[in-house]
Amino acid sequence: MTDTPTSATAPAGKPEIDAAIRRQQLTRILLQVFGIGTFYLVVLVFFAFASPYFFTYSNATNILTNVAVIGIVAMGQSLAVISGGFDLSVAGTLPLGAVVYAVLINAGVPIPVAMLVVVLAGSAVGLINGLIITKIKINPLIVTLGTMSIAGGVAYTVSNGVTLPFANYDAGILAEHFMPGVAWYVLLFVGIAIATAALLRFSIFGRMIYAVGGNAEASRLAGIRVDLVTIGVYLFCGALAAVAGIVVASQLLAGSATVGSDAALSSIAAVVLGGASLSGGVGGIAGTLIGVLILGTVANGMALLQVPAFYQQIATGLILLMGVGFARLREVLGRETT
Amino acid sequence: MTDGMTTPLLRLRNIGKTYGFTTVLTGIDLDLAVGETIALLGENGAGKSTLSKIITGVVQPDHDGEMQIAGVAVAFHAPRDALAKGIALIPQELAYVPAMSVADNIMLNRWQSTAGFLTAGRVKAAALEAAQKVGIDLGDLSRPMTRLRLAERQLVEIVKAITRDARIIVLDEPTAALSQDESRRLFAIVERLNRDGVGIIYVSHRMDEVYDFSHRVVVLRNGRKVADLVTQETTHAQLIVHMLGHDRAPRVGAAPPSTAADAPIAVQVDNWNRSGLPSLAGVSFSLAPDEVLGIYGLRGSGADLVAEGFGGVRPDISGAMTLFGARTDIPRNPIAARRLGIAHVPAERKREGLVLKRSIQENLVMQVMKSLSRFGILYSRRERNLAADLAKRFDVRFSALDQAVGQLSGGNQQKILLASRVATKPRFLVLHEPTRGVDVGARGQIHTFLRGIARGGCPTLVVTSDIEEAVDLCDRLIVVREGRIVGELTGTDKTQQSAATLAAGDKH
Repeated sequence: MTDTPTSATAPAGKPEIDAAIRRQQLTRILLQVFGIGTFYLVVLVFFAFASPYFFTYSNATNILTNVAVIGIVAMGQSLAVISGGFDLSVAGTLPLGAVVYAVLINAGVPIPVAMLVVVLAGSAVGLINGLIITKIKINPLIVTLGTMSIAGGVAYTVSNGVTLPFANYDAGILAEHFMPGVAWYVLLFVGIAIATAALLRFSIFGRMIYAVGGNAEASRLAGIRVDLVTIGVYLFCGALAAVAGIVVASQLLAGSATVGSDAALSSIAAVVLGGASLSGGVGGIAGTLIGVLILGTVANGMALLQVPAFYQQIATGLILLMGVGFARLREVLGRETT
Repeated sequence: MTDGMTTPLLRLRNIGKTYGFTTVLTGIDLDLAVGETIALLGENGAGKSTLSKIITGVVQPDHDGEMQIAGVAVAFHAPRDALAKGIALIPQELAYVPAMSVADNIMLNRWQSTAGFLTAGRVKAAALEAAQKVGIDLGDLSRPMTRLRLAERQLVEIVKAITRDARIIVLDEPTAALSQDESRRLFAIVERLNRDGVGIIYVSHRMDEVYDFSHRVVVLRNGRKVADLVTQETTHAQLIVHMLGHDRAPRVGAAPPSTAADAPIAVQVDNWNRSGLPSLAGVSFSLAPDEVLGIYGLRGSGADLVAEGFGGVRPDISGAMTLFGARTDIPRNPIAARRLGIAHVPAERKREGLVLKRSIQENLVMQVMKSLSRFGILYSRRERNLAADLAKRFDVRFSALDQAVGQLSGGNQQKILLASRVATKPRFLVLHEPTRGVDVGARGQIHTFLRGIARGGCPTLVVTSDIEEAVDLCDRLIVVREGRIVGELTGTDKTQQSAATLAAGDKH
């Protein structure tokens, strides 16, 4: 459409500018290397020296097994945080999923159908979150705090406050091992992580999540259906929390309303450790994965060193602050200025 | 200007700043005399804001430079150090407490108190005294800040600086959002401050206003000082060459001739109305298919509404329009606007236009992702190619397409925003303040792009409060005042003088 006289002013070709660009790129690469991955490496090296049992196959599978549940929740949480919100209700949806799964199994519903219904139930919670946040325009903190309480309460009501053992142990299929020490749900977690990463990276929906989180007003003016994107995010988040509920129930061979109470804070901690910003628009699945692994590895390593559980809680908090402090440092060092 | 007899108020020697591996400022020498105003000119990215941040203690310079105030060497670690030495910064984006009164803001954290309790009367009296000292009238000082116009908020900052005994005031692009009248009032205040001995450093990228008040002009380019001149002895053309460098100085040559009077009509606007403030009353006009039409008005005139109406963000305007022969309603939302083939470039690129945290590429293709995808999955290569093409066509300067847009200069950001809208291949392009806060070089380029787009057959509407832009860029100019079209200027009638007169509503 236009014929623009730009060639004379293009940046390339001036040696000093080229050199400056190369320097900037080098800075960026260095900062990336010096990121949360390095932090995880430090953690790994520390425990490897501290405990002889740490660097073993069985311990590696232990760590993976222990992080799978929070990992699945954190995948959904990543989307919520990137879109500029977050989802506390996962801590209610997860036990709800576990309990509903047990009830359906014990009512004789076929296992695949039961799983599907549970995922739909989780999606329903997410849909409600999304609708309230976008249509009534209430802050996600308040909305999901409310639905967390409601979903958790429903879980207690449905189970009458007692643990519901599976009548049919086949329903625990996800917790069976497909190779030594690795259960199917670990594979499920890895699969969900890959799918979520692909969604964020390659799909229009993923791109819109970043845009909405980065600047909702600009996105709206650019013709992005901000409300739909937001609802989609919470729906996805709710569905994954319910999946995590199935996994927990499969591990226990029972449904209980008391599980997963730490799901909200742990998943948000993992996402933020992974470099996402609570103001939205920034973050990714690779980061969240490392965040999940850091939290899981620290818990595992401290257990190996027989550190009492309450110290672990303190350590987890410190790790979170250190990790985020690290990210902040990167931001300050990496800031390019005019 | 500085003679050897007196010690300058501020003296910089060999000031530089390096971030990591990037040098943004190098070898700056500068003397500011008592009662002098220096205009600091340069494109975005030239180092103006870094220099003003160094002077005001926001940023620390590299260690080999030297800074003196009244002959005494100083080193600032934070803005409060600079304030203690009498240096105040009035930033572009003002920092104030909206809910507090004007007086409370002026005396912020220096409130008069008795036994720990604020005495509102004394706070107000002190604020008033300071305002009167520099001849600034802010009206009722117990009004909340939010009730003030932007220009008044700037004046509050100046008064605040005076209450802190500022001897040097750094103004960072204060007129970017001011009307001509407001700017003129500001210049008068600057002059008065000069008479009281205050030294002013005035950061700007608008050349025309330099002549109104500054004693000296210092031009930065690529982090170096390339000129230090007495304002009255320089010409506009010289300054442009200094700012842009010889190789990039603009080509002389006016816009291509305007379209003929009997040209066909591409876009017809019929009787747009809106009650409430700002209002629109019976606004009708039309555009030829290859025309750049300007709408100029002061803030609050209603001109903004027209741009927003086309963008689909003003569903409360009543009226209709005809686009290429098809009659249609005013779009109710941004998606409806896009469906009509209207591309709308909003006024505030940072807030309404771009996702600053995301990459150049993502911002460029934001509106055309569907055409780059299949079943909702993006083709990476096609996306990258399109982004690279757009960036090249609109001469966006960047180091990598995955660089965050927020890191770029205002001019580059504006080019990206424009490119992202043009990528949709619109039938009708509507721009709202297309070069606000954009440096001279990029501004000229954007104007060239817009003329090219219009000549290529996409009628282009430019709604602007920048009178220079309104007159220079547009083939035909409509002036709006109080929601009504009060005049249309073409050819030799289209001058800044006549546009300003119409917009202000003077009788002659």
